Amino acid sequence: MQRCDLIVIGAGPAGLSAAVEAARQGMRVTVYDENARPGGQLFKQIHKFFGSREHKAKIRGIRIGEELLQEASAAGVQVELDAVVTGIFADKEVTVRQGERMLRRKADTLIIATGASENMTSFENWTLPGVIGAGAAQTMMNLHGVRPGEKILMLGSGNVGLVVGFQLLQAGCQVVAVADALPGIGGYGVHAAKLARCGVPFYTAHTIVRAEGVERVTGAVIGAIDQNWHIVPDSEKHFDVDTICLAVGLSPMSRLCGLAGCVMEDNPQKAGLVPVVDALGETSVPGIFAAGDVSGIEEASSAMIEGRIAGLAAAHRMGFMASSALDARLAELTGALASLRAGMFAPGSKGKVFTHTAEGCALSASLLRRGFVADEEIDRYPGVTRARGVHPVLECTQNIPCNPCADACPRQCITVGADGGTITALPVFDAARGCTGCGLCVAACSGQAIFLVDEEAGEITLPYEFLPLPQKGEQGMALGRDGQPVCPAEVVAVRTSAAFDKTNLLTIRVPAEYAGRARFYRKER
Amino acid sequence: MRINEHPVLGGYPKGEAVAFTFDGARLSGYAGEPVAMALKAAGVFIHRYTRKNHSPRGIFCAIGRCTDCVMIVNGRPNVRTCITPLAADMDVRTQYGMGAKHAAL
Amino acid sequence: MLQDRTKNTGGFSPAPDDGLIICRCEEITKGEIRRAIQDGLLTLTELRRFLRAGMGLCQGQTCGRLVKSILARELGVPPAALEPVVSRAPVRPVEMQVLARDQEIDHD
Repeated sequence: MQRCDLIVIGAGPAGLSAAVEAARQGMRVTVYDENARPGGQLFKQIHKFFGSREHKAKIRGIRIGEELLQEASAAGVQVELDAVVTGIFADKEVTVRQGERMLRRKADTLIIATGASENMTSFENWTLPGVIGAGAAQTMMNLHGVRPGEKILMLGSGNVGLVVGFQLLQAGCQVVAVADALPGIGGYGVHAAKLARCGVPFYTAHTIVRAEGVERVTGAVIGAIDQNWHIVPDSEKHFDVDTICLAVGLSPMSRLCGLAGCVMEDNPQKAGLVPVVDALGETSVPGIFAAGDVSGIEEASSAMIEGRIAGLAAAHRMGFMASSALDARLAELTGALASLRAGMFAPGSKGKVFTHTAEGCALSASLLRRGFVADEEIDRYPGVTRARGVHPVLECTQNIPCNPCADACPRQCITVGADGGTITALPVFDAARGCTGCGLCVAACSGQAIFLVDEEAGEITLPYEFLPLPQKGEQGMALGRDGQPVCPAEVVAVRTSAAFDKTNLLTIRVPAEYAGRARFYRKER
Repeated sequence: MRINEHPVLGGYPKGEAVAFTFDGARLSGYAGEPVAMALKAAGVFIHRYTRKNHSPRGIFCAIGRCTDCVMIVNGRPNVRTCITPLAADMDVRTQYGMGAKHAAL
Repeated sequence: MLQDRTKNTGGFSPAPDDGLIICRCEEITKGEIRRAIQDGLLTLTELRRFLRAGMGLCQGQTCGRLVKSILARELGVPPAALEPVVSRAPVRPVEMQVLARDQEIDHD
C-alpha cells in the first residue's frame, strides 16, 4: 500500500494551505480532491477579499487560488483530482475512488479539509428545474461562462446571497429581489448596498411561498412572515422569474470526521456537526486534523490560516519541525486569525444583536432592512465627511475586519484603527494630508463603499464593475443609495488601471446639491 | 445564455466546438465543458423525470453532489451531467426513473 | 443518548404542506416523514432506514438537515440535541463494479 507523510482531503483554500506548509517542512504530501479542478470555491470567488494585507485583502479569490496552486506546486505537493475519498479506517487508512479504480492509501497524519455543503429549504415546487443553489449559479457563470437565468429571485441575504447576487448582475442577469426570512439582512451591509444602488429591492421578513411553473420555473411568490413564521394574509408578491437561487446557509461537510472516529459536536455557532478540535486543529484522534469550513463555517480567509496552522502542526507532530519554529509561526498565524474573528460578524458574535458600532454610532436601520443607508443616516459615520476639493467619502458603517483603504492610500489619508487599533474599526479620513484623488482607495475597497466626492464641482467618482463601460461625455442618470433616480448625470471620466484590478473608476458630474446623494450611474434616463 | 465578455473575468477559456445529440437532436457545445452547461446554453432545462412522481428535474447543485441532473450518456444511466465533460458525438438522453423511457412505463 | 420512547408526541395530524417533497432523490414527502415519526421512528437513523429518505444517490446531502428539523419539531427538541446519523463508508455513491475492483488492483 502506498504511504506518505500526510494525506490532505480537499484541495480548497484550507487543504491547499495545509499541504503547502507541511510540504515546505519536508513532508511528502498528497492532496485528494473529488473535483476536476483544484481550488475549491476560490475560482468562483471573483470578488475582492476582506481583511488586511496579511489576509490577502483586496485580492480577488481567483487570484488567491492561482497563487495557492503555484505555492503547492513549488513546494512539491502532489494533488490528485477526480479523487473521491470514500472512507477513513483504522490507522489512517483511506479509500479513494479515482476513475474506475478504488485506491487504498495510508499516511502518518491526515488533514480533513472537505469544506461545506449548501443548506436547502423546501417549498412548493422546489424540485422544478430553475430552482438552484447559489453555488450552482456561481459555478455556471464564473467557471463556465453560462448565465444561470435571465430573471432571478435570490433567497437569502447572508454574504453568499449578496455576493452571488452581485455576480449575477455582473454576468448580465436581472435580480428581481433578494428575500430573507429573517427581519434583518444577514451579510455585510456593504455587500447589500452594492445591490441596492443597482436597484435590487430587499424583502426582509419574507419567505418563499411557492415556485410557479409546470416543466420549469416561470415565477415565484414570496410573502411576509410574522413572528410565528406564518405567512401574513394578503402579503403575497409575485415575480416573473425563470430562476430561483437558494442561499440559505452552509453546513460543515464533516462525515469523514465522524467516520474517522473523531469526537463530534453539534454546534450552532459553527453551523452544524463538527469535529471537536484544539487550537492547532487536531481532532480527538491523534494525528487527524480538521481545517476550514469542515470544522466551522467561516470565510475563506480564515480557512486558509486554519489550514496553514494544521499543516505546520502535522509537520511538528512527525518531527519535521522544531517546537521553537512552530511556536514562532503560530504566534503570527493565530494573531492573523484573531484579527479576522473580530467585529460584528465574527463567529463569536453569532446571535448577538448590535445597535451601535464600536465607535458608538447607531447602526443604520435602513441598511439592515432595505440594504442601503438612508440619506439622513449617512452623516453619522466617521468616514463620511465634507471637505474642500476632492476627497474620499468612506461609507463604511459596520465593524468588519478590513483595511485595504488605509493600505492603499499613498498619502496615508485614511486610517483604520489608529495606534495599533483593530482592523474592524471604521475608517477615518484626515483632510490635512491632502487627498490627490488618485482613486486607489476606491478600487481597493472590497465592499465598494468608497466614493471620491467634490461637493462644489458636483463630481463623484464611483467603483464600476459592469459592462459595457460608460463612455466619457455620455449622459445618463445618477442613482441614489436606494437605486432610485436622483438627477441627470454626465460621465466626465472613466479610469481603468492594472492597479485597480478590474474595478473601473467612473466619475460623474451632477448638480452640486446632489453630490451627497448620487452614488451610482445608469445610462438610460 | 453564454456570457461573451465578463467585466472581471474577461473571456472564458473554451475547448473546441463539438456536436452532440440530445434525445436524437443535434446540438453543439464546447469540448471539455460539463454536458449540463452545453445543454443549458442550448436551452435544455429538463434532464430527467423522476421514478415515482414523474416530475421534471434539472441542474440543482452543479457540482456533482445532488445528482438531480443525471441523464443517460452514451447508454449509461445516472451520469451526473454537471461534472461530466462534453465530448464530440456524445449521445445524451433524458432519463426516466432509472433508465430509458420504455423502462419506466 | 437513549431516545425516550414513552414520550407522547401527540399523534399524526395532517398539515397543508404534507405533500412537500423533502428527500429529492427518493421523493419522500414531509407528511410521510411526520407520519413515520408519529408511528414511533424517533431517530434519524430509523427514519432513514424505514423511509429511505437520505439513502438515494446524493446520500442525504440535500435533505439531511431538513429531515432533522422536521424530527426536532415533531419531538419538540432543538435539532442539535438529536443524535446524528451514523457515517458509513462509502460516503459517496460508488458503483458495485468499481467497489469490487478494490481487492484486485491495489495492494502494491
